[in-house]
Amino acid sequence: MDGDGGELPEIRLREVGRTSPLVHVVGRIVSLRRREVLRRSDGSRRPLLSGWLTDGSATLRFTWWDPPREGIDRGTILRAVGAEIREFRGRAELVFSWKTKIAPAGPAELPPLDPTALPLRSLRELQDRDEGFRVEVRLVRVGAKPVSVGEERRVVYEGVLADRSGAVSFAAWSDFRLRAGESIRVAGGYVRSFRGRRQLVLDERSWVERIESSGLPEPEELLLSSPRPISDLEEEGGGEAAALEGIVVGLLPPSGLIYRCPACRRVLGGGLCRVHGAVTGTADLRARLVVDDGTGSATVVADRAATERLWGVSLEEARARLREVEDPAVLEEQLAEAMVGRRLRVRGSATVDDFGLQVAPESIETAEIDLEAAAEELSARLGGGA
Amino acid sequence: MALRETAWRVSARELAACREEERGTGERAATYVLSPYGARMNRVLLAGTLSAAEPLGRDQPPTFWRAHLADPLGRVAVTAGSFQPRAMAQLRAAPPGRPALVVGKLQLYRGGAAEPAVSVRAEGIRSVPEAEERAALADIVRQSLDRLDLLERLENEPAVADDALRADGYPRRWIASARACRRRYPGADRASYRAALRAAIGRIAGTGRSSAPPAFREGVTVTVDPPPPARTPPTEPERAEEAIFLDLVDRTAEGSEDGYADVREVLRQIAGRGVPAPRAEAVLGRLEEGGVLEEPIVGKLRRA
Repeated sequence: MDGDGGELPEIRLREVGRTSPLVHVVGRIVSLRRREVLRRSDGSRRPLLSGWLTDGSATLRFTWWDPPREGIDRGTILRAVGAEIREFRGRAELVFSWKTKIAPAGPAELPPLDPTALPLRSLRELQDRDEGFRVEVRLVRVGAKPVSVGEERRVVYEGVLADRSGAVSFAAWSDFRLRAGESIRVAGGYVRSFRGRRQLVLDERSWVERIESSGLPEPEELLLSSPRPISDLEEEGGGEAAALEGIVVGLLPPSGLIYRCPACRRVLGGGLCRVHGAVTGTADLRARLVVDDGTGSATVVADRAATERLWGVSLEEARARLREVEDPAVLEEQLAEAMVGRRLRVRGSATVDDFGLQVAPESIETAEIDLEAAAEELSARLGGGA
Repeated sequence: MALRETAWRVSARELAACREEERGTGERAATYVLSPYGARMNRVLLAGTLSAAEPLGRDQPPTFWRAHLADPLGRVAVTAGSFQPRAMAQLRAAPPGRPALVVGKLQLYRGGAAEPAVSVRAEGIRSVPEAEERAALADIVRQSLDRLDLLERLENEPAVADDALRADGYPRRWIASARACRRRYPGADRASYRAALRAAIGRIAGTGRSSAPPAFREGVTVTVDPPPPARTPPTEPERAEEAIFLDLVDRTAEGSEDGYADVREVLRQIAGRGVPAPRAEAVLGRLEEGGVLEEPIVGKLRRA
């Protein structure tokens, strides 16, 4: 314990803002960025380090004026005595200034995380930036994906978790040896949101325990669930393992034969990538389908494999056609002709943005309905036989 | 939030019963037709058989076409002009008497002493196998019944909260629409609408006719918009460019806060679609001259 901090009791980050204006906290840096601020009085530059600090109970932004030149990285644990609290856009932030006594700390100094003391939450309740909770969930599916974080190569385990209230995607930065079908209790994770899609993030500080599966949905229930009205998905803000069925009422451009930036896979417009400028694009096929079920509509982006299967035209055939017609718009027209009016059943992860419900499909199938059963059901509702 | 309009599943009979519309407030041009079945709709999806398309107006070659879609419950006019070249080509090419699906926007015409009449400005027409048409008809009957049930519920419990209806599975959009429609059509004879839906059951089951017998046709006259002023007919590629241009105007307007499409934005987007600036300007000129687009504020476009 830092002797200088004697008069200021150590508190958890979750409690920051409710106590004195100066606090004593311990936390681990989860992200950081170095900057310099131009001083208006004399034109000199003042170094500044800002980022996010967590102790498992909450994650707060911090600003550190005149930080040490080195030795502070992602993962560094700090003890800050006399950190100031500032409120920015309704959230408390920490400011480390000359008044703050700050020193590196060991992992043992971080407040112990007691998973059973954290409140149990349902997946539906989780919101962006939540942390300090536990959930009891079924692992619907999981897969390992190699990623580069800066210079570093890491493996992230991604998948879908579900409970009776809903499903959410997750990303685990540590290997918890997760297997699809398992029931687990998870504590010490946090929620982040990207393009309206919530994700539960687990790292080395998270805690996973196998539990009895009573009351949790079976993975098949989610992966093979019946389609739901698009309006329900819209109102719920989308979700993982969403299923819907409707008729294709339109095709949004750019669809058909498109060209992607070889560096970032963005679709090129007029041979230009928004990020990389003029590049030689890689040909690809896709269909941005508007699927409508009468309660609402969704944009479903079919990738090359799905587009080839639904259209019956391969990428190579599409390129051969283009050599004949010399206008990609003609191909787009032909694709629209082939798609509009089709009844499709779509499964995937759905999000809501300013343009409505967007579905990243895992599967797109032609849907069929049992006409005799439908006639019987409707006849019964109308009272009497057909 | 400018969301895409849902394609309401409706029968020709429901459209024939429409008398009320809601003009968009402010500068936004979106108009909704309200039906006594509880739909407040801008876009619809119909299933039935199409008659042969006939040209309207004196333009040569014709720039405006009309056909009638017949389903087991009634008949409605479906139109397409040269500003929707895809729909116009599809309308002309659709084999008469064969099953088809039609997606389009509604227009309510009030002319002279005649009863208001609804027609569908086609966006997409597709000939489909009979099973597809019957499946779509099943959706139409089911959703019509759902909406009539919802209206009945509101009739019996006017004070029922939206959340209670939502819990029973009715989409919020439908609940709001049903409340609006109930105000507009206080005396609607919903029992007769419900009974009329029976005529579609045979078709869904595969035993009945695909269209209503001629005697059943609603006695409505459909008058169409005046054809655009005579001018040199645009060539095929020019029409395609016009269609792309209008499409971009619609989407840009839908996404903008003031309901207008920003000219520069549209020109930027169309450049990305391979139409160079001088040609795009020419397209804009034609569309403005033809009275399709107007620019009430400098740099801001909307459909005329």
